[in-house]
Amino acid sequence: MPLKWVLHWQPNAGSTVNSQILSEVSQCVESINGLKQGRWKATLTLYKPHTRGVSVPEQPNKYYLIIRGQRIVLEADSSIQTIMEKLQSYKTRLALNFDGFQYQLGDFQLRVGKVSPTHSENLRGIFMEVEYLPISSMEKARQIMGEFLEIWQEAVSKRSLPGQFMHIEPNFAEYGLADHYTSQHTAVQYATVMAQLIATVQAVQSVRN
Amino acid sequence: MRLQPQQLQPQTQPQHHYQQQQQQQQQQQQQQQQPPPPPPPPQAEDTAAATTSSSPPPSEEAPPKQVAQAMDRLSHAARLIADIRLGADRLLEALFITAQPHQSNKPLHLFLKEDSSMRQHLQDLRSVGRQLEESGVLSESLRSRSNSWGLHMPVVCPDGAVVAYAWKRQLAGQAGASAVDRTRLALKAFTDQKRRFFPHLDDGLHDQDTKSASKKHCGPQVPMENHQEELSGFKTLSDVLMHLEKEVPNLKIFTYERLDWLKRASLLPSSTNEASMETSKEHNFHSSNKLRTGSLSAVAVEKIAVIELLFPSVFRAVVSLHPAGSIDPDSVAFFSPDEGGNYIHSRGFSVYHVFRRITEHAAMALQYFLGNQAETALHSLLHWICSYQTLFSKVCSKCGRLLSMDKKSSLLLPPVHRPYRQFSALKISSPQLISSAKDTSSDLSQAYHVGCFSEEA
Repeated sequence: MPLKWVLHWQPNAGSTVNSQILSEVSQCVESINGLKQGRWKATLTLYKPHTRGVSVPEQPNKYYLIIRGQRIVLEADSSIQTIMEKLQSYKTRLALNFDGFQYQLGDFQLRVGKVSPTHSENLRGIFMEVEYLPISSMEKARQIMGEFLEIWQEAVSKRSLPGQFMHIEPNFAEYGLADHYTSQHTAVQYATVMAQLIATVQAVQSVRN
Repeated sequence: MRLQPQQLQPQTQPQHHYQQQQQQQQQQQQQQQQPPPPPPPPQAEDTAAATTSSSPPPSEEAPPKQVAQAMDRLSHAARLIADIRLGADRLLEALFITAQPHQSNKPLHLFLKEDSSMRQHLQDLRSVGRQLEESGVLSESLRSRSNSWGLHMPVVCPDGAVVAYAWKRQLAGQAGASAVDRTRLALKAFTDQKRRFFPHLDDGLHDQDTKSASKKHCGPQVPMENHQEELSGFKTLSDVLMHLEKEVPNLKIFTYERLDWLKRASLLPSSTNEASMETSKEHNFHSSNKLRTGSLSAVAVEKIAVIELLFPSVFRAVVSLHPAGSIDPDSVAFFSPDEGGNYIHSRGFSVYHVFRRITEHAAMALQYFLGNQAETALHSLLHWICSYQTLFSKVCSKCGRLLSMDKKSSLLLPPVHRPYRQFSALKISSPQLISSAKDTSSDLSQAYHVGCFSEEA
């Protein structure tokens, strides 16, 4: 399946994210000829004991479970969420929505949106997905994705926003994943992004306090 | 008071004829000025006859009236055809609306209304057509009738041109004029296509007039002759393919009979399907030649019509041979390695922009190779296709970047242009270059963005 990079917004030290930044970023996509296509949404849940669960729209019948500490990723049927609830062995600690719009730029697809807790409109972060449709090999696409990111960062920097998009590539090999991209790769990327976002929010809170 | 036309005898003397023609013309104009519906009394019996679908023998009406009626009916037919076209559009619109969510019965009513009016239009068109046929407009039956006073019924030519008031000279003139126009349009269309697909032929025609032409052609011809000698070993399909397999290590070559390829194409996993890419029925060229032990997958060389070149994770190219088993390629197309479906064939187009662009470029390269040296066309084409294995890694030789915004389509694309004009497969096969083929700064294979490529390069 086409490969993608998931990025998160890293605000500069001392500043926070807000919806103004999100709208500027969306305008940026349109400035490089992105065509808005529709809404897009993924959800990520943090469980206790320490497990993350991700559901993505491209695989509506699947649910992905990740244990970062042990580098485990598992693809399961979406009914496992019900099982987990019923068994009471996994309790939801935090659930986040990744909510945004999808844009088409030729052979690229972009998704830009906000990260907010479920049942709340509070914007806690901004995320972005860059997908290159024609190929599935991460190694083969690395150069293209890198150059796209350069073009993107250049476009964003013109708006002088207090922060930037960061791409942290998880070590997929440690999770037992291969070069051919799959939804498991996506799930791992989202789990990593979530960890980053939580760390950022905590850092901001500690600065405040 | 004018004499009724029916009472006159046909005159053979030119002068009289001319005067009569004048009178007839004026009377025709008078008749035409009468409003068609409702038909005025003199024409009443004609229309009545028409609606009962038994037409009066045309000899009862004078030729001028016949001509006028015929013209009327032709324009009526044209109006009906326009109505039918509109109706078809409305039907399509109604169907489109039903595909949208949250619709009430509105599209259904629309559809029924259009359906009944379309049927009425078609019915009317049929009856008008019958009338026209009977009055000889759609055939040329009336021309031969002697009492037509030199007038001919308007004729509808097979290509739809209507020739009216066909006095002989006028007929010849009009037919001639429309033929000239049609020829001019056809020539223009042909020249446009030729310029688009055979750009190198234009240069050839241009240079033929100048003396420098012979000198220009001498240059490239000499290496071409050497080229031909060297490649004389590649006269058969097996030779070409085996040589390619040896020279290009990452490449997977598969060969198929034509129908087998279509089956394979529809079995290819599409990008949403994460199933394994390799199917059990591999028609690997190598194995099919070695294992001719009656297995189902062996393809006899003389039946090979489709060659598949697969660079895993980069692209898949499909080349068609015509006739099967020959070394004459007739079409080529590029696709994503993850694409699957019935449209994956040498005349199909990928859903991805990058591969669509390359396919267009490849069509021109193919024509160039065929025009330049047809015997080595397949060899050159396949090697040229292999130069695309660096599609996602080789930066543009002009701007030094991998991605560039294409101005025409406003899309970000990698360098999809690989030059084919001075492309020589011979260069690739010489030993010292095999080692340097891995060196990405090799000047031999260059890549350009569409916007970065210029003819002089």
